[in-house]
Amino acid sequence: MTSVDNSASPSRGRRKNREQSGSRTRRRKGAWKKLLWVKQSYPDNYTDQNTFLEHLQRNPRLKPYAFWPLVADSTVIVQHVCSVIIFVVCFVGIFQERVSPVAVVGWGSIATFMGWLLWDWWVGQEEAASLASNNPTSISAASSTSNLGSTNTGTAPNPGLSSRQHSNSASASASSIPSTLPNSALHSQTPTPRSTPNYPPPHSLSKPFSHRTSLRISTAKSALLIYFTLLGLSPILKSLTRSTSSDSIWAMSFLLFTINIFFFDYSSPAPQSITSAGKNIPASLSTNAALMASTVLASRLPSTGQVFSLTLFSIEVFGLFPVFRRYARLRSWRGHVALTTLLVVGAGGGVGLILGHGGDGDGLWDFPWKSGLMGMVIGVLVTGLAMGGCSWWLIGLQKYKNEIHGPWDPARPVIRRWDDY
Amino acid sequence: MPYNIAMVSDFFFPQFGGVESHIYQLSTKLIDRGHKVIIITHAYEGRTGVRYLTNGLKVYHVPFLVIYRAATFPSLFSFFPIFRNIVIREQIEIVHGHASLSSLCHEAILHARTMGLRTVFTDHSLFGFADAASILTNKLLKFTLSDVDHVICVSHTCKENTVLRASLDPLMVSVIPNAVVAENFRPRNHPAYHPETFGNEVVPAPQHLGPHDTITIVVISRLFYNKGTDLLVAAIPRILASHPNVRFVIAGSGPKAIDLEQMLERNVLQDRVEMLGPVRHEEVRDVMVRGHIYLHPSLTEAFGTVIVEAASCGLYVVCTQVGGIPEVLPAHMTVFAKPEEDDLVAATGRAIAALRANKVRTEKFHDQVKMMYSWTNVAERTERVYDGISGVLSEADFYGYDAADAASWSATRGRAGVQSFALIDRLKRYYGCGIWAGKLFCLCVVIDYLLFLFLEFWAPRENIDIARNWPKKGQEGRVAREREKRREAG
Repeated sequence: MTSVDNSASPSRGRRKNREQSGSRTRRRKGAWKKLLWVKQSYPDNYTDQNTFLEHLQRNPRLKPYAFWPLVADSTVIVQHVCSVIIFVVCFVGIFQERVSPVAVVGWGSIATFMGWLLWDWWVGQEEAASLASNNPTSISAASSTSNLGSTNTGTAPNPGLSSRQHSNSASASASSIPSTLPNSALHSQTPTPRSTPNYPPPHSLSKPFSHRTSLRISTAKSALLIYFTLLGLSPILKSLTRSTSSDSIWAMSFLLFTINIFFFDYSSPAPQSITSAGKNIPASLSTNAALMASTVLASRLPSTGQVFSLTLFSIEVFGLFPVFRRYARLRSWRGHVALTTLLVVGAGGGVGLILGHGGDGDGLWDFPWKSGLMGMVIGVLVTGLAMGGCSWWLIGLQKYKNEIHGPWDPARPVIRRWDDY
Repeated sequence: MPYNIAMVSDFFFPQFGGVESHIYQLSTKLIDRGHKVIIITHAYEGRTGVRYLTNGLKVYHVPFLVIYRAATFPSLFSFFPIFRNIVIREQIEIVHGHASLSSLCHEAILHARTMGLRTVFTDHSLFGFADAASILTNKLLKFTLSDVDHVICVSHTCKENTVLRASLDPLMVSVIPNAVVAENFRPRNHPAYHPETFGNEVVPAPQHLGPHDTITIVVISRLFYNKGTDLLVAAIPRILASHPNVRFVIAGSGPKAIDLEQMLERNVLQDRVEMLGPVRHEEVRDVMVRGHIYLHPSLTEAFGTVIVEAASCGLYVVCTQVGGIPEVLPAHMTVFAKPEEDDLVAATGRAIAALRANKVRTEKFHDQVKMMYSWTNVAERTERVYDGISGVLSEADFYGYDAADAASWSATRGRAGVQSFALIDRLKRYYGCGIWAGKLFCLCVVIDYLLFLFLEFWAPRENIDIARNWPKKGQEGRVAREREKRREAG
């Protein structure tokens, strides 16, 4: 620390006479540098007022929330909570034998089928749009999906397909795989070809029809598989928790539904193509918790038919419905709002019907759906208040946000992934 | 005055790493300067009890449960009896803890303050503020550092980080960098050191690289995410594609090694990239001198000793501009890159071009680095910290001239520039840690104090034997004279 600061000597050279007397103070005044390899005349615990913490950033990525977008985003949560409530209401209805299980699962299956038809139509629309437009990314997406589909049929040949089509798709997959390999190798060797369009396979124009048909057939196949598996499992499920008391089951299913609601994947997928939205299966912990809850609930029911209906219904509500909701939200905002309203009204009405006893003749103002109607009104009001209140509260909490960033944070590496791992 | 110092950390030999060698080198140099240093660490497999290392450095291996990566289970009070015994036995005056992930060090600082000893803490790493593990570590650090006498950080970035994490007065934090043993990191043709010719070797003739000579790029790092292996995986094929006469030598192991190997196979680069696997610390120099450029793609780094070692071996350094790295080496030894794939490739390209044009005098790096970083210098500066906290230096001298006026005078600091030991003052410092944490910490301190009183009663000081010191060599007088001279000079 007593060593002379060599790096500052040029500026000091012009006033040699005064340097002798005032060297100590002048050296103190020499600018402090934030460097470790220079020997500086400052003590080690010197803190430079000007540069200390100058790279500190507070809340650098803070996006102040606006009220209405926040309310709009909260509909996703409302939708999910409402579908859970509807499921519970259906269970209570079946358990108290007020609703026929066949009606529940019948309506549920019809709704699921309609939803699937709508989904299929949307998929068709999107593929047509992506084929019509000529930008490279969507072509690559379409070609990758066609590759995917063709390899699927190639590896698991379906008896329903005609042999001509089968051989066509197999040859397509066989020819498209080698065509992918040299391309990716070429890509990784040369540094520039990122903007070049991605190799559309020559078969891609003839592909969509067969691809979608095979997709439909595989969907129907898995639906049938699930149906028959459940049918076979129902007697086992019925006696699954016979030795457990009902109280434990209620507590357990409550806990599981809470897990389901808290761990559900509410994030909206990036608006890309149907394939990425479809691949994005909502968080598995949440789905598993819900299915387990419905299984233990179903095991309380007395007959095999009821168990089967409730389990099938739970797969529809917790397995398929979220996927549909995510996609519906991407496709049409109006449909999303309408669906939300429907769910809120349905859940409110269901809770009202379960709790109240309309149509039993007491009171002046009596009609069969009284408590249901009351439930709807209260449900809508409470939901509206909760959405608004929570959004407002969250905005109010923003002023406590204190996120500190600085050079000590691990850097986020920027890597362009242009060959798929 | 020579001090009796206890270095406390979970991390020490036989385990290897930056903290371990820091403690060892610092202790050795402090012993050379006439102090008495002991090291307290936990027991490693096959190594319990007391060991002597070179130069009479005494190591206590205390048996404790190890939970994760050689850090002991935080037991808060169970360490106190044996710690007190060691401290009394060795007549310790200053307890110096290392590494913020070591619970042994935190406990030792707490107990040392209860026993009325001076404490210093050295922070070797950077922590963020966002994830849960960091928040917990930061709270713990705040607890320990509420009542520490001084803190040492290895870089200015590390100091800013520690000041924020533990809410410290910046004047209480000194920046003392790591160093390298230049002798162990000689360039390829550099003659070995002899005691008599020390300091006046001939500088080797500059090596000239032709435009078609092979340039070897060396990477030595543990292959973890935060060491930037992803960047490396992305950058290597592009660097090799645009520079034909370039080879890579990669040493190190870790979970990301598989990514690296996959990249090599996918791009068929096995003949241009050599993977050495894990190398021992003493072999690092032999790997380094095979290359011309050292590539360091780390994402976070408090100091980055390895780039100093590489520069000392005469390698041109390409590194990412993160953490404390920009402070470590002068601009003519390094090419900085942003932690981005494109920029890393471009920076490596610049480095290769500069070497091919023979613009970089890499043969001079070794002697320059030797001048910049030495453990003797680190020990001197650490000694000044010890002087400051023991009150040998006046407050104005130690905390700087502007600190003596009332504006920046910290209320928690005692009169003589040292922290007071009174229990009530210590409780005041801990109480400010947080609404709940402050009360919890106070409770811990009170219990610790009661435990101390109980131990004083149960195992009185008089009954504890004093350990005999390691016989000193004849250099003690010389060092004392040097210190005297230095004090007169400035």
